[in-house]
Amino acid sequence: MALTWGKTLSRVLFTTVVGAALVLTAPLPTMAADDVVRVGNIIPLSGPSASVGEQGKFAREMAVEEINASGGIKALGGAKLKMLYADSESKPEKGVAEAERLINSEKVHVLTGCWNSAVTYPTSAVAERYGVPFIVPVSVADKITEQGFKTVFRIAAKDSWWTRDQFSFLKDMQEEFGTEIKTVAFVYENGDWGKGFAEQWIKLAEKTGYKVVLDEPYPSTATDLSPVVQKIRRARPDVLLLVSNAADAILLTNTMAEYRVSPKAIIGSGGGHADPSFLTATGKNAQYVFDIVEWETDINKAGAKEANEKYKTKYGQNLTGEAVDAYLAMYVLADALERAGSLDREKIRIALSETRYTDGQGMIVGYDAVEFDQSGQNKYASPVMVQINDIGKGMERITVWPKNARRSGYEPVFPMP
Amino acid sequence: MIFVLEDTINGILMGSIYGLTALGLTIIFGVLKVINFAHGSMLMVGMYVAYWAVALTGLHPYMALFVVVPVMFFFGYYVQDLIIKPIFKAEKEVREPITVIIVTTGIWYILDNLTLLLFGPDYRILQDNPLRGKMLEAGQMLISVPKLWGFCAAVVTAASVYVFFQKTRMGRAIRATSLDREAASLMGINQYKVYNIAFGIGTASAGIAAITLVPFFNVYPTVGVLFDIKGFIIVVLGGLGSIWGAIVGGIIIGLIESVAPQFMTATWTEAIVYGLFLLVLFVKPSGLFGVKYDW
Repeated sequence: MALTWGKTLSRVLFTTVVGAALVLTAPLPTMAADDVVRVGNIIPLSGPSASVGEQGKFAREMAVEEINASGGIKALGGAKLKMLYADSESKPEKGVAEAERLINSEKVHVLTGCWNSAVTYPTSAVAERYGVPFIVPVSVADKITEQGFKTVFRIAAKDSWWTRDQFSFLKDMQEEFGTEIKTVAFVYENGDWGKGFAEQWIKLAEKTGYKVVLDEPYPSTATDLSPVVQKIRRARPDVLLLVSNAADAILLTNTMAEYRVSPKAIIGSGGGHADPSFLTATGKNAQYVFDIVEWETDINKAGAKEANEKYKTKYGQNLTGEAVDAYLAMYVLADALERAGSLDREKIRIALSETRYTDGQGMIVGYDAVEFDQSGQNKYASPVMVQINDIGKGMERITVWPKNARRSGYEPVFPMP
Repeated sequence: MIFVLEDTINGILMGSIYGLTALGLTIIFGVLKVINFAHGSMLMVGMYVAYWAVALTGLHPYMALFVVVPVMFFFGYYVQDLIIKPIFKAEKEVREPITVIIVTTGIWYILDNLTLLLFGPDYRILQDNPLRGKMLEAGQMLISVPKLWGFCAAVVTAASVYVFFQKTRMGRAIRATSLDREAASLMGINQYKVYNIAFGIGTASAGIAAITLVPFFNVYPTVGVLFDIKGFIIVVLGGLGSIWGAIVGGIIIGLIESVAPQFMTATWTEAIVYGLFLLVLFVKPSGLFGVKYDW
C-alpha cells in the first residue's frame, strides 16, 4: 500500500514540476495554454432573491458577449471571458463553499457577486485568503469594504451613501433653485431599514444645520396614518424625508394629499416609493415626490437607452439597478485585464485598484467614474434621484440628479407648488 | 386644544369603522361560538367586490352596497353551509369545536392566496370616486368625508343588526340558538340554518365595512390581516358576542391610535392598545359589554 502511494505521489510531483516548467517556458503573449479568463460568479439563482440574481446573470452575459464579440481581451491575445456561475441560494454558507470550489477546482481568475450583502460579506474573506480579486457590483452593506481587504472592489454606492446623497441632492437643489431649506421632518417605518436611515439623517441634519422638527417612526402595518400626517401638518417642515414599504407609502401619500400637507419637497428612500403600484395607486397625489434609486431607464447617459433596448429585446424586461451595476462590472474587469496584460491574480488585482473608468462601454450609470479608494469602494458611486411628474404621458419617474444624468429637457419642480 | 378635538373626531370616525370590521366577528362568535379566523379575508373579498363594482360602473361607492351586501351574505351563507357545517356535524358533541377554527384558518389562506393568484400583489385604490380625498373644513379642522360616511354606516349597521336580533322571529331564533343550541333545536329551530344565516349576516357586515374602507384604503390580497388582528382585540375589549361592544371597542382603539400619537411616537400607541387588551383580560375577561356568566 505504502509503496503504491509513494509511487503515485512521485508521479504527481513529477507531472507538476514538468507542468510548471512548461507553463513557465511557454511564450507569454500568446497564452497558448490558457486563452480564456475564467470569471466565477456567485449569485442567487434560486431562493428568495432568484429574480435579482437572474437579472445580474443576464446583464453579465450581455456584457461578456459584447466584449468577446469585439475581440476579447487584446492584451491577452484576444482571450475570451468565460463565465462560471454558482448559485448562492442567498445563503452565506453556500456562497463561501462555492467560492472555495470556484477558486480551487475551477481555478477562476476573478470572482464577482454575490448581491446579498449577507453572502458577500463572508465570501469576500475567502477571496482575500486566496488573493483572488473579488468584484462586488451591488451588495450595499457598508462593512463589506471596511474589513481592510485588498481584493474586494465594490462598484455601487454603499448603504450609508444613500442618505448622504439625499442630503447632497437637497443642497444642490437649494443652490440651483435659490430656495432655502431650514427645517426637516423624518417619518419612517419602524423596522431596521427605517431606523437605520433615520439615525444617519439625524447626524446629517446636524452637520448641515437643518432643524429637525419631527422624528416619527410608525408601524408599517398601520391601518390609519392620519395621526402621523396630522403631526407632519402641524410641524410644518420644509422637507419631509420618508422610508416606507409599499402599502404605507401609498396610504401616507394619499392621506397627505387629503390633509393638504405640502412641504417644499417630499423625498422617498426607494422601497415602497419605487413599487410599481405606487404610481397607479396614488395618481396625482404623488406628483412632485422625489425618490432615490440605483438607476432609472431614462437616465441621460450615452449608450444607456441602447443598452436598455438590447436588454429588453433579449430578456423581455427593463434594465434595473442590479443589472446595470453587473453590466458595468464586466467592462471594468475587461478594462483592468487589458491593463494587467496577465492572468496572474495579483496583477489583475493591482490593475483593478488602479482603475479609472470614465467613458468606456458600459458606463451607463448615474455617476461619472469608477475609481476605487483604499478600501476598494468606488469613490464616485452614487444613486440617482427621480421626480414623479406628469409631462404628458401620465405619471412617471424622471431622473433629475446628479445633474449630468438628468433627463434632457426636464426642469425639476422645486419647491413643490 | 383644537388639535385634540380634531384628533378625537378622527379617532371616533376611524374607530367606528374598526368596530364595523369587527362586527361580523362578534356576531359569528356569539352564535356559532367559533372564532372565525377567515374574517379578515372575508373583509378582503368584500373590498375586491366593492372595488370592482365601483371601478367598472363608476357609481358612488355606497351604491355598491346593493351588490356587495347580497354577494357577501350568500358567500358567507354557503361557506358555512358547504364547508363549516359538515365539520360541525362531525363534532356535534363538542361545545366549542376547535377543528372549525382550523377550518376557518384554512379558508383564510385559500382566499388570500386565490386572490393573489387572480389579481396579483398589486395595490389598488379607487381613483375617481365622489368620496376620494374629500374633506370637511371647520375652521382649522379637517375632517375626512369618507370616514364620516363610514361612521354613519357603522352606526346604522349595528343598529339594524341589533333590531333584527331583538324584534324579528329569525332574530329571536338566532338568539335562542346562541343561548342554548340544544334547547333551541328541541323547540323546533333548525340549528344549522340559523348558523348559515348568522354567518351570512357576519360576512355581509364585513362587506359593509369593506365599502366604508374602499374610498380611502388600499385593496390588496393580504389587507384583511391588518384588520383581523385589530378585530380580535376589539371584540375581546368590547365583549365577545356583543354588537355594541364591537363598536365601542373599535372607537376606543381608534381614539388611542389617533389622540395618543400627538403626545408620543406612533409606534407607542400599539403598545398602549395591547396593554389595554391585557388589562381588560385581567380585570374583566368578559370584556366591557360581555356577559359575565357562561351560557
